[in-house]
Amino acid sequence: MNALYGLYMDAEGAQRAVDSLRSASSELKFRSQQIVVVSGEPHEGYEFTDREATSTPYRWAVLGAVVGGTTGYLLTTLSQKSYPIHTGGMSLTPAWTNGIIVYEMIMLGAILTTLVVLLVGARLPNFKGVISDPEVGKGKILVGVVDPPENAQPELERRLQKAGAWQVKRSVTPQP
Amino acid sequence: MPATAEQIEQDLLRPLFQSSGKYWIAVAIATSLLLAGVAAFGYQLYSGIGVWGLNSPVFWAFDITNFVFWIGISHAGTLISAILRLTNATWRRPVTRCAEAITVFSVLIGAIIPLCHIGRPWLAYWMIPYPSERHIWPNFRSPLAWDFFAISTYLTGSTTFLYLPTIPDFAAVRDVSTGLRKKIYRVLALGWQGTPRQWQRLEVAMHIMAVVIVPVAVSVHTIVSWDFAMTPVPMWHSSIFGPYFVAGAIFSGIAALILAMALLRKFLHLEQYLRPIHFENLGKLLLTMSLLWFYFTFAERLTAWYGNSPPEMAVFWESIRKNFAPLFWTMVVCNFIIPVPILAIKRLRTITGTAIASACVVVGMWLERFLIVVPALEHKFLPYSWGTYRPTWVEDTLMASSFGMMALLYLLFSKFVPMISIWEMKVGLQSHGGVPVVVPAESRPVLEGPQ
Amino acid sequence: MAHKWGMVVDLDRCTGCEACVVACHAENNIPTAGEDQAARGRAKHWIRVERYWEGDFPNPRVRFQPVLCQQCDEAPCEPVCPTYASYHTPEGLNSQVYNRCIGTRFCANACPYNVRFFNFYNPEWDKPLQLQLNPDVSVRSVGIMEKCTFCVQRIKAAEIQAEAEKRELKDGEFTTACAQSCPSKALIFGDLNDSTSEVARLSSSNRGTKLLGELGTKPNVTYLERGTWDNASHG
Repeated sequence: MNALYGLYMDAEGAQRAVDSLRSASSELKFRSQQIVVVSGEPHEGYEFTDREATSTPYRWAVLGAVVGGTTGYLLTTLSQKSYPIHTGGMSLTPAWTNGIIVYEMIMLGAILTTLVVLLVGARLPNFKGVISDPEVGKGKILVGVVDPPENAQPELERRLQKAGAWQVKRSVTPQP
Repeated sequence: MPATAEQIEQDLLRPLFQSSGKYWIAVAIATSLLLAGVAAFGYQLYSGIGVWGLNSPVFWAFDITNFVFWIGISHAGTLISAILRLTNATWRRPVTRCAEAITVFSVLIGAIIPLCHIGRPWLAYWMIPYPSERHIWPNFRSPLAWDFFAISTYLTGSTTFLYLPTIPDFAAVRDVSTGLRKKIYRVLALGWQGTPRQWQRLEVAMHIMAVVIVPVAVSVHTIVSWDFAMTPVPMWHSSIFGPYFVAGAIFSGIAALILAMALLRKFLHLEQYLRPIHFENLGKLLLTMSLLWFYFTFAERLTAWYGNSPPEMAVFWESIRKNFAPLFWTMVVCNFIIPVPILAIKRLRTITGTAIASACVVVGMWLERFLIVVPALEHKFLPYSWGTYRPTWVEDTLMASSFGMMALLYLLFSKFVPMISIWEMKVGLQSHGGVPVVVPAESRPVLEGPQ
Repeated sequence: MAHKWGMVVDLDRCTGCEACVVACHAENNIPTAGEDQAARGRAKHWIRVERYWEGDFPNPRVRFQPVLCQQCDEAPCEPVCPTYASYHTPEGLNSQVYNRCIGTRFCANACPYNVRFFNFYNPEWDKPLQLQLNPDVSVRSVGIMEKCTFCVQRIKAAEIQAEAEKRELKDGEFTTACAQSCPSKALIFGDLNDSTSEVARLSSSNRGTKLLGELGTKPNVTYLERGTWDNASHG
């Protein structure tokens, strides 16, 4: 894949670029999903970041906690009841002590679910062509279009420059 | 304070590409300690636990002391990373990863110790609930079974907590590497780009983890304390053990963190990042925990003394006045009498001062664990069967090797992972109003060393 | 009715001769620790005779107290074993299942009576003493906890015999090694659920106490206190 992108020194410039590209997407015949922003740190408070805000991971974490807790309950209580061994007077399924195991499994469920949801939501692992530029590590923000249509490229370049790019570049088959 | 994002990356990636001779000497020492421990463990496996100093009635001593000690140290990362993240304390940024690394490695060591101290370690897997042909399940009533679940959960949680914010930094290393190094970090970074979606998801995941890991950490050390409190042994059977141990764990954890930070600062030249203000703030936390530790110790001892129950008083006087008195009062000096003035007086609360106080606290907290375990076991209910305990060279070696293992893991970690979170430092720049400065191409510094 | 094995220790009769200790070693394949290991506190005596001195010269009194596993109904050693090696049988015995034990030693710490012992090394007997080992009792290997079993091998053998002969067990038909060897009959073993047995009768004696009974362990061994020896009274 190839990409045409501009490097911006701050988030305001990046926001201008994103807005500009979005407004041009229909006329220049590319999808807004082809617009890519890459940065070396999160930039809170700007629309291009905040639009990705989501509360789904919280709900998944709660679900994971419930699943974990149920597993803990099944592990301790159901398995002991199904295959009772002689405990010599000790209660077969003491609630307090089984509760400790259930508690730990609740937490484990939440942790594992959060990890999985992150990987799925952030689309990781993803080794197929990702766009990167050494300048991103130095603090610049990369805003560009992936696989831009041939005829649209001069106009895209103009828009990126107008938004205040430090540099506009083209890259072909970038390596992750 | 570093002025640019570029400088941050330079400084924090440098240790991955350059090492001094001192580093390799440190690695060699740590490795030899670890190998000595492996040899000692092999000897123990061959001959039996008899090569230790345990006897009847002191069936637990150095083994459990070290286990509780290392699990206690692990509370460093949780407190700093999770609670300071949740309270938005921005000064935490350079400190989080060192702390989280301490947590993961000390939980790992703490998890290995029980596997090595049981009489038949090759059967340790019987603690895992798996469908076994013996038609038997682990006994969930046992605090050791709770330990298994709690420590597994904590290890999983703290490893996740360490790994997630490191992904963007692995990507940063990937982007400046070539060859084999690039391939390895490419895998570790999971193809991280840095799109807004990924950043948002990462921040949400970190927030959830921070919320979840705190109760897990509290439960872990409470459950470890219940290894003692759930028995009728005099001076063990105390309901204060849960909170006492958690407070003590956070106390020793902060001390270990301060020591680690002081060493990192010196040897990795991170003076611009780990600044006096960090040591001051952590020093204040350490002071709070020292006072809290004193409160708990005093409350526990006072109620035992006032209650005047003969079995408990036998153990009590052993610690305060008799055989264990030197160790007990050393512990009080190390945990309270030395640290409090150093940490309370602003002029003394420097990097050196907090490091000295922390070293004392680490020693004092190890002594505290020892003094909880051994005097009580030596003096249970029937005086005819009271005993004494002395460690043997095998136990001393195993203990030293646990420190060696910690040092080795930490040293290796500092070589392969940036010890300070690069992206979080860059975020810190933003909030300080720092603007990335454009450095002309000719004067851009080049990373030395193998690329 | 199911059996409930119990024991009575008459402290008035115990002379401190320790024949019970020797018999227990012989019956249950307990190795001697040796001088060096005993000095380090690792002597293994499933039953031991504790000796306490009372008073000073010229009239010191010595008290002997045989202490063995109390086979507690609410044993603190049972909930803490992660592998159910310390486990309560339907006949009221606290049994140690050797092949479940992984040697965490938690049970030994929880036992208030210090009657649980650990195999720090593999046991060894100088030749030809290994020929005297009791074939009914397993030899415990390194890393395993052990303790008094009320000679469960004898209990089982008697029960099997009685069942084969289709009859009930009689009181006094068999007994533990320690009770068998006591010259002054200070140790009495039997079925507490059998109201005609000696042990049931003596357990309800008004001299009866439980060792560390205040801990709530509900031991099945009853200690009969010494009478007072006083030259001024009837004597």
